[in-house]
Amino acid sequence: MVVGQVLVNWLLLGSLYAAVALGFSLVWGIMNIVNLAHGAFIIVGAYTAFWIYTQLHIDPYLGIPLTMAVLFVIGWIVQYVAINRVIRAPILVTFLLTFGLNLLIADLVQQFFSSDLRSINTAYAGNGLDIGSTHIAFDRLIAAVIAILLTAALNYFLTRTRTGNAILATGMDRDAARLMGISIRNTYALTFAIGAALAGAAGAMLSELYPFDPSAGGTFTLRAFVIVVLGGLGTPWGVLAGGLVFGLAETVVPLIPGVGPGYDDAIAFVVLVAILIFRPNGLLGKPFYS
Amino acid sequence: MSDALSQPTASNADLGGTGQHATPLLQLVGVTKRFGGLAAVNDLSFSLQKGEILGVIGPNGAGKSTMVNIIGGSMTLTSGTILYQGHDITRLPPNRRMRLGIVRTFQVTQPFMGLDVRENVMVGAFFGQQERNRTKALRIADEVLERVSLAHKATFKGDQLTIADRKRLEMARALATNPQLLLLDEVMAGLTATEVAQAVELIKQINNMGVTILVIEHIVRAIASVSNRILVLHHGRKIAEDEPSQVLSDPRVIEAYLGERYAQKRTREDVSMSSIALEDPRQSGEDR
Amino acid sequence: MASGTKTQTPSTIEAFPPGPKESREWLWSLLLGLVILGLVATVPVLGDASDLHTWTLIVMFAVLAQSWNFIGGFTGYSAFGNVAFFGIGAYTTGLMLLGNIPFWLGLIAGALVAGLFAFILGLPVLRLRGHYFAIATLGIAEALHEFVAVRNVGGDGGLMSLPLPSLSSYVSFFYAFLGLSLLCLLITVFLTRSRFGFALVAIRESEQAAEALGVPTYRYKVAAFVLSAVPTALAGGLYAYWATGFDPDTVFNVGISVEMVLLTFLGGKGTILGPLLGAIAFEYASYQFQISGFSLHNSLLGLSIAIVTIFFPQGILRLVQEFVRKPAPGSTSNRLIEGVRRVRRFIAANGV
Repeated sequence: MVVGQVLVNWLLLGSLYAAVALGFSLVWGIMNIVNLAHGAFIIVGAYTAFWIYTQLHIDPYLGIPLTMAVLFVIGWIVQYVAINRVIRAPILVTFLLTFGLNLLIADLVQQFFSSDLRSINTAYAGNGLDIGSTHIAFDRLIAAVIAILLTAALNYFLTRTRTGNAILATGMDRDAARLMGISIRNTYALTFAIGAALAGAAGAMLSELYPFDPSAGGTFTLRAFVIVVLGGLGTPWGVLAGGLVFGLAETVVPLIPGVGPGYDDAIAFVVLVAILIFRPNGLLGKPFYS
Repeated sequence: MSDALSQPTASNADLGGTGQHATPLLQLVGVTKRFGGLAAVNDLSFSLQKGEILGVIGPNGAGKSTMVNIIGGSMTLTSGTILYQGHDITRLPPNRRMRLGIVRTFQVTQPFMGLDVRENVMVGAFFGQQERNRTKALRIADEVLERVSLAHKATFKGDQLTIADRKRLEMARALATNPQLLLLDEVMAGLTATEVAQAVELIKQINNMGVTILVIEHIVRAIASVSNRILVLHHGRKIAEDEPSQVLSDPRVIEAYLGERYAQKRTREDVSMSSIALEDPRQSGEDR
Repeated sequence: MASGTKTQTPSTIEAFPPGPKESREWLWSLLLGLVILGLVATVPVLGDASDLHTWTLIVMFAVLAQSWNFIGGFTGYSAFGNVAFFGIGAYTTGLMLLGNIPFWLGLIAGALVAGLFAFILGLPVLRLRGHYFAIATLGIAEALHEFVAVRNVGGDGGLMSLPLPSLSSYVSFFYAFLGLSLLCLLITVFLTRSRFGFALVAIRESEQAAEALGVPTYRYKVAAFVLSAVPTALAGGLYAYWATGFDPDTVFNVGISVEMVLLTFLGGKGTILGPLLGAIAFEYASYQFQISGFSLHNSLLGLSIAIVTIFFPQGILRLVQEFVRKPAPGSTSNRLIEGVRRVRRFIAANGV
């Protein structure tokens, strides 16, 4: 394969992955919760975008704000009803809980939408820029741009707005933040809801690029985990970096003679273990959230 | 511990000397531990003779617990050497040091929940002394519990113990390993005056059995009554090392605890640390 | 070393009287476990074919939960990928059957392969803690799942079709699973009484303190992980033949990993009877739901997980223990009221 094409594929995929992992890293960094239901939120986002597309005839990308709003509400409810009650519990308990929620949500989606494979094919789906022999698909390009914009927006929100600062403060030192008048309960609810909204955005983007069914969420959670570990539990830009590195692995490994496609989870796992053993603080390695 | 209990360990081979001025049991030479820019322990050197009780005091943050972590092996040092019976153990992991007879207790007690008191102590017997026979381990545990006055609570679970009990359990577990060098990390924190006196007695008893002890403590009066020598740390450095009476009237030590002006004032009035220690609010004698 | 000359203590340990009697809890648990298994053993006699089918699966899940308990309950390392061993057992045994190798040999091979896999993977992964260990094990299972499917192990997409069992009937399978569960029960009891088991609990409670007392923590963690792999793989091998057909999605299903964890949690992790009770309770309830027409297994599982983790992550058994525990000496309130009060406090404490 031409190097240029590989490069393009890598950058587009890596940026997209950043979107997948953004919400996950926010919740983990601020609330110290590894949300295994993240994949389920992504899937709900995908199905929401699907519904918007088929019922309201709005392009998934344009419909992202709406999708995010829906997921925001869902995230808030989930946090309020379930997550809130296990904040102080041992890590395994929250782990198990979010996994249970993942199962529940995915199953509900399946009950509602059936387990048929879905996909969205927009009018511009096949088109793209052609530079030499390198093809840049429009839909992927737009997704990558949106992902980068989301990363920048999250970063701006956290560092430049008052609410965002409150979230960061809560993440750094919960008790100190409380003493300064920040409502922890609301902050956590907001954080989780934003995390869900970001997952929703990722889902909307993915819905246009890949076929999906209710069970597709799990693999995204795993990848989000690896990306966050790669980038270090740091700034949103760290997530982008992690996404790019991971995207590199996923783009390049299948090109190795004899390997071929279809080993996404295996690649994720190998990268994960390698990082955890050799560079447990991630590649960028500076804690920012916590 | 009586000889009938001890298994041959590396330390039984005659590595150290037999006289009073033979190779010290433990020697720290220029030990430094940095966390980023901060030196928690700074160029610390001292020796510990076999059979001694060395007290270690110092204000909060002086580096006492870091020092214990380093000696015990759970923390690596930045520079310096640790010698045990003349051998360099700087690179040895905690379980290897344990084999040589170095055992520590933890400042924040960590009983093994899910096991009762006796079983907790049995862990020490099983793995510290490499005892495989369950019945023998049981007997060792019972003996140790008797010694620390916890025998009547042998079947209690961790959450049914008082603070004093938990501290004793920490010591019992360590004792069951048949140690040569015992590092006690603030075993008296949180105890009433009576319990402190009992702890002091226990430490003396353990020492009488031949165990060398390094005691870190805040309760200066208690430590003064039990130690052969006292080491004072401040900001990670050793600022005094001498007999208790000398150390406690040392102006540098008083200054470290109470500040310079107070030290000058006190020295002029010729008052010593031990009388200051009497005013220590922790000695209020209330039951907890 | 101790000189023995300055002491006032007797020179031999025999002179010390034994301490208070050891707790007999383990014996009662063992007996109760045997009774329960004995009762379950009557299913082929008292029930029909569909009961037999249901209970075979219930007992199988009991085995899975009991073996997860070794690494998750006793050692405190929550592996979220133990289904990998189940799948390994299934595929190894299946492949051997297709190669005309006797079933029992295939079972043993499955156990060996799974044990080896657990050992090799355990070495790097058991150095991790908390979140990372859990996700890493989850990742292994998923990676293996993918690998088997992509590599078309045994057939297209990993679909395996096995010849009908030569064993006389499904009853034999049932008793095989039951025997496996009994074995796990005995191993669990052994753990609560043995040096190895004490070490595992010590590792769980405070790995640092355990090391300071000389416990070879790393070695024992790996051993516990391998121990959890073996019965799981045997169960997988039995399942393979019993079902005569399976695919990667079935035997490498991540839901099974999580179900193992839930069942153990539900009953009480780290206890002798917990996994067994949890398995029976949940699987039976789940089955009741299924026959009333709801195919909501996953939803039920998810919901149960949510309820258990929020309200009583210590498990039913601990809840009961808390209720019946002897009150502190000097307490005068009614045992029953005290029990209820304690249980309520217990549940509340696990929340926020």
